Amino acid sequence: MSEVGTGAAGVAGRTYPPVEFRIEADRAAAFARAIGADPAAGVPPTFAAVYSLGVTAPQLFGDPDAAVDFSRLLHAEQEFAWMRHPRAGETIVSQGHVVSDVSRRGMRFVTFETETTDGAGQRLCRSKALFVIRS
Amino acid sequence: MSTRAVTFTKEQIAAYAEASGDHNPIHLDDDFARSVGLPGVIAHGMLQMGLMGTVAADAAGGPDKLRRLYCRFAGMVVPGDTVMFTAETAGPDKLDLRAVNQRGEPVLTKSVAELAS
Repeated sequence: MSEVGTGAAGVAGRTYPPVEFRIEADRAAAFARAIGADPAAGVPPTFAAVYSLGVTAPQLFGDPDAAVDFSRLLHAEQEFAWMRHPRAGETIVSQGHVVSDVSRRGMRFVTFETETTDGAGQRLCRSKALFVIRS
Repeated sequence: MSTRAVTFTKEQIAAYAEASGDHNPIHLDDDFARSVGLPGVIAHGMLQMGLMGTVAADAAGGPDKLRRLYCRFAGMVVPGDTVMFTAETAGPDKLDLRAVNQRGEPVLTKSVAELAS
């Protein structure tokens, strides 16, 4: 696939430092309640929005080279793929990577992947987000 | 097939912002949202996906069965909208996921779940 860069703002290929995150039971339960899931059923799968995407996307949004206008950012697509689901009390590590950064017809499309591994270094979850930044 | 109808409220969106840590003002502040060209506050795509995930988990026989979840956010959801979330078997280990608002407009499209066999 050919890519059209965004000039100085393009950050395709950039990898951010890994982020450690402990899955607190209280936080996972609050998240479960917010989506109408049963907090007793364990960590909701989509808590990956916090432990995978949520801990790494701020690195992209805060990267001056990426120059993301947060107020014009729309989340267009999201995928999570799990090898297994984490349990409360686990400490996991997530690392974000900009797969592509393309501008087309006045819109900017940023594909951002996050790999999350467990305490033993085993792959646990992959998040893939497509962000669209309106101009 | 599993379904769930949800009428979105500002309180629910604020609760999701708190629980997820996503405090983007487009989800919390009507004046700010209008200043960037939105009709007012909108629900987080990830809140829609969280709700969709609970319906997928029901259809799958439990949240641990989910191996992959993909959502395309096709339309904005604002407070007062009622969205019907549907997960339907599409193969041995696959669910088709749909979410449609009260006007019949899709808000999630091409969305799928893959399950542990």
